[in-house]
Amino acid sequence: MLRWSAWAAVGLTGLAWSISDIDFADLFSARRMDNLERFLVRATPAPLREGAAVVEGESTLGSWTMSQLQQYGYDGLLATLCISVVAIVLAGLVGALLGAFGARNLMSAHPFVPHATAGHGDCSHALDRVAAVVRFLCILLRAVPEYIWAYLLLAMLGPNAWPAILALAIHNAGILGRLGCETVENLSSPPLRAMSMAGATRKEVAIAGVFPMALGRYLLYFFYRFETCVREATVLGMLGIVSLGYYLFEARAHDRYDVLLFLVLLGSLLVMLADVTSDVARRWLRRGV
Amino acid sequence: MPDLAVSSGWSLTRRARILSIIAALGLLAYFGLGLRLADLLPEGNGADLVKDFLAAAFRPAFTYEATGFLPEHAPPFLLKVAIGLWNTLVYAIAAISLAFVAGLALGVLASASFWQARPAAFGLVRWPLRFLLTAMRSVHELLWALILLAALGLNPAAAVLAILIPYAGTLGKVFSEMLDENDGRPADALHQIGAAPLQVFLFGRLPRALPDIAAYTFYRFECAVRSSAVLGFFGFTTVGLYLKQSFENLHYREVWTYLYGLILVVLILEAWSAQLRRRFVV
Repeated sequence: MLRWSAWAAVGLTGLAWSISDIDFADLFSARRMDNLERFLVRATPAPLREGAAVVEGESTLGSWTMSQLQQYGYDGLLATLCISVVAIVLAGLVGALLGAFGARNLMSAHPFVPHATAGHGDCSHALDRVAAVVRFLCILLRAVPEYIWAYLLLAMLGPNAWPAILALAIHNAGILGRLGCETVENLSSPPLRAMSMAGATRKEVAIAGVFPMALGRYLLYFFYRFETCVREATVLGMLGIVSLGYYLFEARAHDRYDVLLFLVLLGSLLVMLADVTSDVARRWLRRGV
Repeated sequence: MPDLAVSSGWSLTRRARILSIIAALGLLAYFGLGLRLADLLPEGNGADLVKDFLAAAFRPAFTYEATGFLPEHAPPFLLKVAIGLWNTLVYAIAAISLAFVAGLALGVLASASFWQARPAAFGLVRWPLRFLLTAMRSVHELLWALILLAALGLNPAAAVLAILIPYAGTLGKVFSEMLDENDGRPADALHQIGAAPLQVFLFGRLPRALPDIAAYTFYRFECAVRSSAVLGFFGFTTVGLYLKQSFENLHYREVWTYLYGLILVVLILEAWSAQLRRRFVV
């Protein structure tokens, strides 16, 4: 399997490179270099550019920056952050449920007690099937990228923040659900087996045993996905939902490449901030929840 | 497990505290956005669209839905789906293969274990490299695409580059962590018996991290397939482009065929990586 996979990977890579029309040399052709030169001129902030029409009150780099921030920056940043927070909380809730109902060791007549299905064959079988369906659902939810979910939902729900939130929540619920399953399946089972054998029902084992034991690790994944949520939320706006991406797309449509680059920079600062927040939260968690 | 102790009175345990902080932030963001639950129910045009769109899910198209307007040389519909999916894979494969090489190089250079024998040099490269990796991945691939399109124009290599840059950043960061986190004892043993620092790294560190590195690269490849599909929305000939065109023409059954095709590709990759992981673990 390993060797076969390695050869398949090499073969596919060779095939993809040899018959595709990807041509990096073309990126450096004279025509593209002219294009790049024009782009770089227009990507220079207006006050630093010679001969550019400078809007009043934006004559210096400082005042230009402040003006951009006030016009779109703050709104965009705040909306992006709020969208990703609501989305990740929703995804965290749904993902936790999917994780519990998809874990094979919890979804059995005698949770965490291996080979103890005698007399409960039918029940165990049904639970097994539920778990399999839930895990398949997780794959389906995350197979479709957020951007496509958002595009489809936008047409149905209209231009408010919900399409972006739901798109992020659906995709991330699939991922957190799968990670949740793995977390539960990797739990140390002796204490849980003890609960189960002492007569606790599945629900009791789940709430009193699995939940507190799995929470720490699940939150690690939660914060890791929060970071990617913020990153993704900046671009979903490009579909016409108010977040940083919306202003970005506007800037491109009006050929304001200086504003475009400024907003990209602002977005990347937000992502770095989310990165640090998530790092700090995870380090805090590792010290023990 | 210290917090098995029952907390008395109203004092919140650490667990309850962190969950309430998350819930509070969620509510704050909810009201900050001015969201209304009523907006979740589509009205008017939206409601009809939902009905039509969901009904189409049960009968995906196998031939073009349009009649009469087809361009002369249009390939059969299913062939077009296959072409879209193949192009999606091609961009993803091209990007991940380069990102793997770049990520491995950057990851090795950014890892403490590679510089073990020369801490002074590590002090010098550590922060610039970390910053570079963070900067690369903090800009989303679609934004790289937007910038590259504006700067260079539409070109397949621009799509590859757009995926390559942030993915190399992510791979580099994760690889460096994997190299540093794995068990250092084999490396120490090699050092004790007189191996040169480079040998210690190549034979003591790298091989132990390879299974993790391979598994993570495979996972990122699955992500790259999705990124590549979305790049179609920007005019590259991946499945996203065709999906968007079909949706704009209200050919919802065609949209579902593209969606099912993309899901199928991800399912195949998922099954493949699950098989591989079983091999690694056992």
